[in-house]
Amino acid sequence: MEERYTLKKSNPALKVFIYILLVVWAFINLFPIYFMFTFSLKSNEEIFGKNVVGLPHEWRWSNYSSAMGTGNMGLYFFNSVLVTVFSIAISIMAAMMATYALTRIKWKWAEMTNAFFMLGLTIPLQASIVPVYVILSKLHWLNHYSTLIIPYSAFTLSMSILICTGFMVDIPYDLDEAARIDGCGLWGTFFRIIAPLLKPALSTIGIYAFLQCWNEFMFANVFISDSKHRTLPVGIKALSGAYTTDWGPIGAALVIATFPTLIIYIFLSRKIQDSFIAGAVKG
Amino acid sequence: MKMKRVVSTVLAGVMAFSLAACGGGAAAPAPEAAPAPAAEAPAEEAAPAEEEKTEEAEAPAEEAASGDAITLNMWCIATESDSNRHSYEAAIADMEKLYPNITLNWEAFENESYKTKIKAAVSADELPDIFFTWSCAFLGDFVDAGKVYCLDDVYAKYKSELPEVMLGNSTYDGKHYGVPLTMNIVGLFANMDLLKEAGYDEIPGTYEDFIKCCDDLKAKGITPFGCAGKETWCVTEYLESIIEKSIGAAELNDIFVNGATWNNQGVADAVDTFQEMITKEYFDPAGIGLTNDEVKANFMDGKYAFYMNGTWNCADFAANDAFKDKVKVAEFPVIDSSKSKLGQLIGGPSDTLAVAASSPNAAAAADYAMELGKYICHYGYLDGCGLPAWTPYGDTSSINPLTQAVSEIVAGADSMVLFGDTAMPADDANVYLDYVSQVYGSEIDGAGFIEGLASDLR
Amino acid sequence: MAENNSNNNTGNTRSNAKFRKGLDIFLFLLPAILLFVGILIAPIAVSLYRSFQKWNGFTPGTFIGFKNYTDLFTSGSLHFVPALKNALIIAFFSVFVQLPFSLFLALLLGRKYKGERFFLTVYFMPVLISTVVIGQLWLKIYNPDYGILNRALMAVGLESWTHVWVGDPKTALGSVVVPTVWQYIGYHMLLMYAGVKGVSPDLREAAMLDGATNWQVDRYVVIPIIKPIIRTSVIFAVTGSLKSYDLIRIITNAGPTHKTEVPSTLLEDMLFLRNRYGMGSTISVMLIILCFAFALAITAVFKDKE
Repeated sequence: MEERYTLKKSNPALKVFIYILLVVWAFINLFPIYFMFTFSLKSNEEIFGKNVVGLPHEWRWSNYSSAMGTGNMGLYFFNSVLVTVFSIAISIMAAMMATYALTRIKWKWAEMTNAFFMLGLTIPLQASIVPVYVILSKLHWLNHYSTLIIPYSAFTLSMSILICTGFMVDIPYDLDEAARIDGCGLWGTFFRIIAPLLKPALSTIGIYAFLQCWNEFMFANVFISDSKHRTLPVGIKALSGAYTTDWGPIGAALVIATFPTLIIYIFLSRKIQDSFIAGAVKG
Repeated sequence: MKMKRVVSTVLAGVMAFSLAACGGGAAAPAPEAAPAPAAEAPAEEAAPAEEEKTEEAEAPAEEAASGDAITLNMWCIATESDSNRHSYEAAIADMEKLYPNITLNWEAFENESYKTKIKAAVSADELPDIFFTWSCAFLGDFVDAGKVYCLDDVYAKYKSELPEVMLGNSTYDGKHYGVPLTMNIVGLFANMDLLKEAGYDEIPGTYEDFIKCCDDLKAKGITPFGCAGKETWCVTEYLESIIEKSIGAAELNDIFVNGATWNNQGVADAVDTFQEMITKEYFDPAGIGLTNDEVKANFMDGKYAFYMNGTWNCADFAANDAFKDKVKVAEFPVIDSSKSKLGQLIGGPSDTLAVAASSPNAAAAADYAMELGKYICHYGYLDGCGLPAWTPYGDTSSINPLTQAVSEIVAGADSMVLFGDTAMPADDANVYLDYVSQVYGSEIDGAGFIEGLASDLR
Repeated sequence: MAENNSNNNTGNTRSNAKFRKGLDIFLFLLPAILLFVGILIAPIAVSLYRSFQKWNGFTPGTFIGFKNYTDLFTSGSLHFVPALKNALIIAFFSVFVQLPFSLFLALLLGRKYKGERFFLTVYFMPVLISTVVIGQLWLKIYNPDYGILNRALMAVGLESWTHVWVGDPKTALGSVVVPTVWQYIGYHMLLMYAGVKGVSPDLREAAMLDGATNWQVDRYVVIPIIKPIIRTSVIFAVTGSLKSYDLIRIITNAGPTHKTEVPSTLLEDMLFLRNRYGMGSTISVMLIILCFAFALAITAVFKDKE
């Protein structure tokens, strides 16, 4: 049924042209991945001038061992995963609860409060470094995983609430009524009825929060001073020296930081896209 | 034989030149400091090994009396790929033997982000016991805020090994707050293969010859200079040397640290000289969009005949087998011989260790930092990362020839002016760098440079 | 509104139930409020306080009233006004180049082309790649000696068009706008594509039966429906542009001579390089106000059109 309207009237020449466009654009978007991968196997001489975009003349896998060995990327990778996963989890939980109160319980200040949370979308990270650092330092709360987890979940909260709202207003209000009649309180309704229905929201929020946390550098640099708890962005940055930098291992570290994400994304892309579709329209 | 020469020349240099003092003091070195290293020098030259031994014997004895087991934290910028890394590791290994009761936890951070980190740490009172810092204005702000532990008491013990002139950049109101590590100057590095193509066997010593050499290089289709415009400090390496060789070290130092006006015709003329070199296309026009990494790679790849930058590059150049035999180092020739002369250099000890006033073991940390600084300096010098701020000891014959050439230049030094962006307070330094980048971008001329700085900075 | 719900309750339990509901609302909001106030609002309050001070970050500050604010707009050497202008230029290109292109792709892919999911997946990838890589890649493209751009120009005989792209004041801003706009096309595209897919096939069918072309369907049926998404995208694009930072630091480092300075780079310089913490706080307060004002303005514009 759907095919009918898409195929109707379509001009074959136009179609070919559109395909060419789509394929060219696909190449433009795939090129960075190829670039990053070859970059990670080159020496400084090749990176700076001799062989910028070609395949490496000499495949320097040693860049990887130096990133893993001296750079300790394995540990940083683990730390990043841990911090990111917990930040996303906390952000999602807090956002779902807040959104529930903001959209499904009727009260006077709901809209005001929602606007207040949206303020978070406008706050530049740099501005809060020192105040947050001072607060954390007063609480003797530096150099833990939670030192990063809590600020990260706070910074992704606004966006999570925004996305959750999109999903939650879509759930029919009859469900709440029915649950109420069955004797569920607000909490019961939330945990038994609403929260499970928000599953599709998870990947939308997850992607967004992941992008925020995985590459975050400034907080991680200032709040964490022991290398045991360092995350990838800081670890990668520490591969460059004050006056001299060997870029190959940095490339290798970037591959280590990026490729797992890309692979997971490729496997889950259909799911992620479906979840975006599920949460759409409400904006 | 060679070793002895290096040691003695460095010492001679230390005695002869004057270093700028920060914190508003006069530029003159403390006169009583000079005799001390002079007296020590012969002894060291005669028996460097013995000197080392006595020290090792002494230190643990001292410590045994002074303390229980403590843990000290240190932050620095000697990351894994930094050329200073090895000297830190070697020094800390030595220190473990010397101070068995002290456990040192040290962490290294990337250079640029370290600045953010350390400033936030000062604001939040979260400084580690020992921290790396740049001398002069950078450390000065922390000292003003009362966050840094005064090292005067500890220094008394090390007076003979650390000439007081070397502390000028970390002395505020007559008190010492920093342990200097290595020091560096701006060097004129030359690719001798390219110079040979233009018919030169040596780096020309006079300004006239030097300009002629640049013209000859141009005629051969060789770009004389490369300079990274994306990192303004690289431009200052050129500009400050040109200004110094035009108006003299004393005048430049007055402008940088003693608050003399920028409204100085000599500076304007020097800036015009620099811009003339740009308009004559001595500089690679692409440089304005490049980083230092890229420019340096170009230089090592034979794209430029000259590269002016810090002498910390010696270690890298010397480590590159294809390049080490081509490169030589010299100082920039004198432009106005009525005001300046050879031996007036840009540079000085900037890399420094300091101790936090908030440290619970500040006294022990101060002692430890001094000793550690000495070893880092020692190994850093051996590695060619820079010249020693401390009186060198031990066998220095393995030092690469480039660094040795630099130490000879320093030995003949008359006076040194610290890098402008290190010497000036942070905000001023930034305004200054702004104007420097405008000069390199040919947006303003010499007159615009001095007028702008005179009105914006005072 | 608040009454509707509690009308169901009988009179005597009413105030009790009201209290109970208030408590529940509070408890539901508590985790979010704690995070939000502790990590975001409290620092902003501190920044607001510091923005009225001359303070270097270490020593006690001195109160100077609105001087930082007036300096921001009157002092040429601070470069705030040009920085703001640059951010607005980036925002302009985001809204009028990036978003239309994203929309175009989203509409195209929404028409069930073969391989639609593949393209969708690929177009989103740059979003996932670290800014460091994207920045390094574009530096190689712009490099004056061996850069792809200059080489391509030379190859087609346009030597006179070659530039030191990131170093030339005339082209520097353009050379950061292009990658910034490019990297997030996929992100907006996915948001919009999701909206397009949400449009009921029946609606399309009906329009097609009335003789509408594909483009007409998109224009008159799909776009009005996904308007809320476009609004959200516009808000993200504008506030994101005002806060743009990463790529600029890597590609031009705000140079040459502040030609690509944006408020965030300026903010960082003030806070951590120039020891002007008070002024840095002022810039961050201004940024927040501006972002919020733009978000409200955009919402208002979209309301008008509806």
